[in-house]
Amino acid sequence: MRHAPTIIALALMFLLPVVVLILQAGAPGWRFPELWPELSLDGLRFLAARPGPFLTALAGSLGYSLATVALTLAMTILPAQVLAFGSFAGKNLLEGLLLLPALVPAMTFSMGLHFIFIKIGLADTIPGVILVLSMISYPYMLRALTTGYSLMGREYGICARNLGASKWTVFLEVEMPLLLPAMAAGGSVVFLVAFSEYFLVFLIGGGSVASFTGYLFPLITSSNRGLGALVTLAFLAVPIALFIVLELVLYRYYRKRRMR
Amino acid sequence: MHRRTLRGLAPLLLPYCALFCAGMALTLAQSLGLFLPLGTGEATLDHYRTLLQDPAMAQSLGLSLFVALVSAAGSVLGGTVLALALWRMPPGLRRVGVVSKVGLILPHVAVAFLVLLFLGRTGLVSSALFQTGLIASPEEFPNILHTGSGLGMIMAFLIKGVPFALLLIGAVLFGFDVRLVQTARMLGAGPWRTFWSVTLPRLLPAMHSAFIILFLYAFGSFDIPFVLGESHPGMLSIRVYDIFFQRDLDQRPLAMAILTLMFLFAGLFAMLYNRFAAYLDGWRRKL
Repeated sequence: MRHAPTIIALALMFLLPVVVLILQAGAPGWRFPELWPELSLDGLRFLAARPGPFLTALAGSLGYSLATVALTLAMTILPAQVLAFGSFAGKNLLEGLLLLPALVPAMTFSMGLHFIFIKIGLADTIPGVILVLSMISYPYMLRALTTGYSLMGREYGICARNLGASKWTVFLEVEMPLLLPAMAAGGSVVFLVAFSEYFLVFLIGGGSVASFTGYLFPLITSSNRGLGALVTLAFLAVPIALFIVLELVLYRYYRKRRMR
Repeated sequence: MHRRTLRGLAPLLLPYCALFCAGMALTLAQSLGLFLPLGTGEATLDHYRTLLQDPAMAQSLGLSLFVALVSAAGSVLGGTVLALALWRMPPGLRRVGVVSKVGLILPHVAVAFLVLLFLGRTGLVSSALFQTGLIASPEEFPNILHTGSGLGMIMAFLIKGVPFALLLIGAVLFGFDVRLVQTARMLGAGPWRTFWSVTLPRLLPAMHSAFIILFLYAFGSFDIPFVLGESHPGMLSIRVYDIFFQRDLDQRPLAMAILTLMFLFAGLFAMLYNRFAAYLDGWRRKL
């Protein structure tokens, strides 16, 4: 079979780690030099006995990540339309500048921002974390929405306006349904960026904002590898579950509107 | 610029200036010794001078550049090869590519954990070598992590980077008109010539953007170096962290000066690389 090398490479790089994580989660005592672990449920029992911190961290991360998605969407939807349809002097330069926060190291501006946030009382708060996460992730939403608008074209909107629809109606009834796939794509990336960030949440949240990465971090450097593996698996499961839900919701929405 | 354009851009421009520009301006100001919690309040370039004279800084910069370059180039190469291999598969089989999403979803901290599990001295690879009798004790396993070579960090960045490059390059490749390739083949071009003159030029823009993004991310990232890195020489981001959190407040301008230089480098690199890619493209077209 001539496609076997590709499949083996993919499996070694991405499937093997998941299998190892599952084994390690089921065998906290798996250590050198055993190649096959003795399975036990100690890790799960440990988590079930004290689920509090785990659930707080999970809820915290989910909360600020979803809020970041909502904020980036609100920040970029009008500008994306301007960038897709408008033409003005310096447009290319502006687009380049607006992409910078995703390109330059996040540390460079966030450490200066931290000082400002302390002065105005946003440091160590959830809104502060959401603001700084939006800053590093909005370029992905902006790119997705700009592409979405360009692919859609402006004819539908002009048509609806000519037929007497108000600006809001045009947006809600014409543009938004067509833009949903772009929003979903941009939102998924923004969610992943926010959900996986460790340093910025640690810096701006100052330890008082509960986060999943902050919960995982001490585990992976400690000797409790079983629990570390368990939490890492949850990291994989939560976004996948969210993406499946998103897909189902979109599908039902389109079927209801008979667009599919 | 029209007033309507400006009003349309306002929801983004306001937070951009208030958070990104203001944060960067303060980083710059603090690197010059201004607006500090403690300080003389006079602007000075002394901190930049200190940095330039410190030989350890050059080492940190070298390591950061090395790790970023190798991991970004490796990711783009791996992503391109995988994308091409998946492209040649029948559409049903192509779906196996979905497993690469694991690398996209797992956070950097978790990927660093995976590298620890596999490549640590008492990790899985070491266990496997012990069981096969190639080594007699964990001490004989070559120390890969925390040695200053950056190898562990590169491994972790590859696990995150390959699926990212695969996603960007695959998006172009899978939406690609196969008739172009068929025409080239019918006109007598060999498979290698077809790839070189038809397929590759269309993939290059995606490869260039993947390279820029991955290179700059690895260059300035903190999470992976914090878990897998070493303190000597240490990536630039780790050095900033050490100065910012572990030393006296009067050393803070030093951290901010490193950050300012990193910012300038990242901005210049993105700009010059884009120019360079456009120049190469024009040069290819002339041939």
